[in-house]
Amino acid sequence: MPSDHSTTATSPASASPPLIDGRVPGQVVAPLDGREVAEALATLASDGLVVAPVGGATALGLGNLPERLDVALSTANLGGIIEYEPTDLVISAGAGTRFGDLQAVLADHGQTLPIEVPRLADSTVGGLVATALSGPRRLGSGTLRDLLIGISVAHPSGTVTKAGGMVVKNVTGFDLPRLYHGSLGTLGVIVSANFKVLPLPRSETTVVAGFPSAGDALDAASRLYRSPLQPVALEAGRFESGWFASARFEGRDQTVRAAAAEAEHLLGGHAERFNAEESQRRWESYLAPQVIETTDDRPDLLVRCAVRPRDAVSLVQGITRVADERRFTISYLGCSMGLGTVMVRGVFLEGGSADALRALQERLLAIADHVTILSAPPDWKWGLDIWGRPPETLDVMRSLKEQFDPQRVLNRGRFAGGI
Amino acid sequence: MDHAGLVQRLERILGPGGVFHRPGDLLVYEYDGSVDGAVDTARPAAVALPTTTEQVAAVVKLANEAGLPVVARGAGTGLSGGAVAQQGGIIISLTRMDRILEIDREDRTALVEPGVINLELSETALPEGFFFAPDPSSQKACTVGGNVAENSGGPHCLKYGVTTNHVLGLEVVLPDGRVVWTGGRAPGGSGYDLTAAMVGSEGMLGIVTKALVRLTPQPESVVVLLAAFGDMDAASHAVSGIIAAGIVPAALEMMDALTIEAVEPAYHAGYPMDAGAVLLIELDGPTGDVRETADEVSTLCRQAGATEVRTASEKAERDLLWKGRKMALAAMGRLAPNYYLHDTVVPRSKLPATLRRVGEVSKEYDLPIANVFHAGDGNLHPLMLFDRRRKGSVERVLEASHDLLHYCVEVGGALSGEHGIGTEKRDYMTLVFTADDLAAMAGVKNSFDPRGCFNPEKLFPKGYMCGEVRALRAQAMAQKLGIYAL
Repeated sequence: MPSDHSTTATSPASASPPLIDGRVPGQVVAPLDGREVAEALATLASDGLVVAPVGGATALGLGNLPERLDVALSTANLGGIIEYEPTDLVISAGAGTRFGDLQAVLADHGQTLPIEVPRLADSTVGGLVATALSGPRRLGSGTLRDLLIGISVAHPSGTVTKAGGMVVKNVTGFDLPRLYHGSLGTLGVIVSANFKVLPLPRSETTVVAGFPSAGDALDAASRLYRSPLQPVALEAGRFESGWFASARFEGRDQTVRAAAAEAEHLLGGHAERFNAEESQRRWESYLAPQVIETTDDRPDLLVRCAVRPRDAVSLVQGITRVADERRFTISYLGCSMGLGTVMVRGVFLEGGSADALRALQERLLAIADHVTILSAPPDWKWGLDIWGRPPETLDVMRSLKEQFDPQRVLNRGRFAGGI
Repeated sequence: MDHAGLVQRLERILGPGGVFHRPGDLLVYEYDGSVDGAVDTARPAAVALPTTTEQVAAVVKLANEAGLPVVARGAGTGLSGGAVAQQGGIIISLTRMDRILEIDREDRTALVEPGVINLELSETALPEGFFFAPDPSSQKACTVGGNVAENSGGPHCLKYGVTTNHVLGLEVVLPDGRVVWTGGRAPGGSGYDLTAAMVGSEGMLGIVTKALVRLTPQPESVVVLLAAFGDMDAASHAVSGIIAAGIVPAALEMMDALTIEAVEPAYHAGYPMDAGAVLLIELDGPTGDVRETADEVSTLCRQAGATEVRTASEKAERDLLWKGRKMALAAMGRLAPNYYLHDTVVPRSKLPATLRRVGEVSKEYDLPIANVFHAGDGNLHPLMLFDRRRKGSVERVLEASHDLLHYCVEVGGALSGEHGIGTEKRDYMTLVFTADDLAAMAGVKNSFDPRGCFNPEKLFPKGYMCGEVRALRAQAMAQKLGIYAL
């Protein structure tokens, strides 16, 4: 990093360099606006250096091991609400805006962005868009992809570009915002993002039922999925004390209560009903084990498997089988009915190794369409593509990378297929 | 390759019935649904009508060999010139690939070929308890492939989202003739979201040969409210009131006095003839929710000055209320021989001012303008009524729309909400985007289609994507980056 880099600003985030897959970047920069981000990227490009964009540092372990890492670019100084017109149901916020702050502003006007990830309050707008992580509520509310209507991005070419806008319906040009969503900062650094927001539900409730076995829990959730009820989240799995099935309902008070009664009946077993406040707490704690943490002294794994929704139940059975075979103890399992994703956290009985992880991934890939190792000790990730099978369109993706970041300045090697 | 040679090669791939090449047969393919004069027309060298993905791929490879551009086309109902073969070449009409391959209750998806008619898909999914949410006004004719290309909307996208929110995966023929899948049945595939890039890309990145789309469960209950107001201002305030109350209707449509004047005598939908504006508000969901919300909406409308509010819950009554809205364009023939339908979006809070501006433009250009539009999401559709036989009328219409576009962009809006850019608005792109913004879009185009053979001269301003400009751009970029090997 050149010493004459005048755009570097000091901020709380730059005080202690973030740990990225066990590596400490040599330098942290925290540009003050989009223009400065672009200038910083252009300088890094010409110096042949590699940068990792950092938001709330809540999911830095996501990705392949960095091929190289010189500088962390913090979005800490890019925070704040840029524009918010409650009657338009749209909001624009800087990439560094903490989601908790954004949600608080929206809540003051009875609105929300119905997104859930672990450590949500500390997550930033830019990070949430770049990682495209989502939770159980995806069933009823979709993901940020569905709500993202505009974006501003800084590129290694030294430019800042925008796409989309501040209206909820827009086909003016290619849909770049959705292309950046989930691109893990490998095409550019998100400077700000615009979202369509939704009214807060008037009421919500959650029904949780416990079961003696995985099969019973999954059967119960399947029954509910096939019923006319429309929960915003419907999960089955293993959490805390045992196997469970759980449904969350949102809407007007009376309707939500009626749905919950029906759900209790459908789920059978020993069902428990949570009021709005308890419901929110329950889902927060349910999401906590999905946190992405990768340190060598905590050798557990977080893996996401996905199949078409109708195969979710057999996927869970398959995962249990593979886990036994690979001597992997599952401490947490969350199957999203209707979505086809299963989140698994656990540890290897013998402590684990890179080889053990590779073998586990291979076995899981044989039973699932997609297997992503969301979190693992960095030492185990050597030579591993945590994203699983490379897509058949990898060459198109590589040319996208070539067009947007020919020097591979951004998150080099961390994305699918080593992009 | 001469024309006869091309036709021969195409017939070898598609059979003699699968190729149109005589001038008379090509005539209809020179147009899309736009008004003559608003977008250019152009004649393709030939039209290919494949029935399989393999045939599409073979035609694309042949076009590459012959150095011809390729334009994919659905039903030709588009309104921005997107399906017109601007540089000639081969039009691939996908209307014969019209099979619904699968409706999956459990996955809540449909796998369809691109030529499936939008409404047919919803009707086929109906007995299973589902519908396909995007519902453009042309849904009786337009194809799912066209919906994907344009990222189509429709009245119900207020609650359910536009096409991109309902596409899970696509089988695509790339510009090099390769067949690939983007996305798919299982969520969370690795790499960039190429499905997102494909939707709304106006046939410039790839040709969709299969689409895996999401089906939406039918709501338990549906109610349509008709609210009449003295003027559009009052109706706009009702719209704001409904949204501010935290209500998201399934659809929220506005029609002005001129539209009512055209529609009511023709279709007897029951709109009050003396109203300055009417709102059609559809609410759906669990029965209890819908009933309570309908009462609330009714109150909000009256508070905003509604002179009349009617509620229709039976299907026949609801269909009648909707009929007027859906047939509005067809009814315009009663008022004038031609109309130019404009598609712009403004932030919802700017609706009243924008509608006033529409009224001013109407006066300034002495041009009757009817308004029938998606008020809930600020998506305006001013209909400029004219008679193209009168000298200078088309020019006047285009000037008036130029003024309106400028205004909408000034107040924070977009060029198009659901019709696309095509050739119609390509030269306005610089109103909203900088050269750098466009360069990022060009980067996407170049990644998929480095030779620029899929649907050339669309979306980017005239001359933008031609070789010379591209070379200059690359050079400038290389200099900026300090690399000269590019």
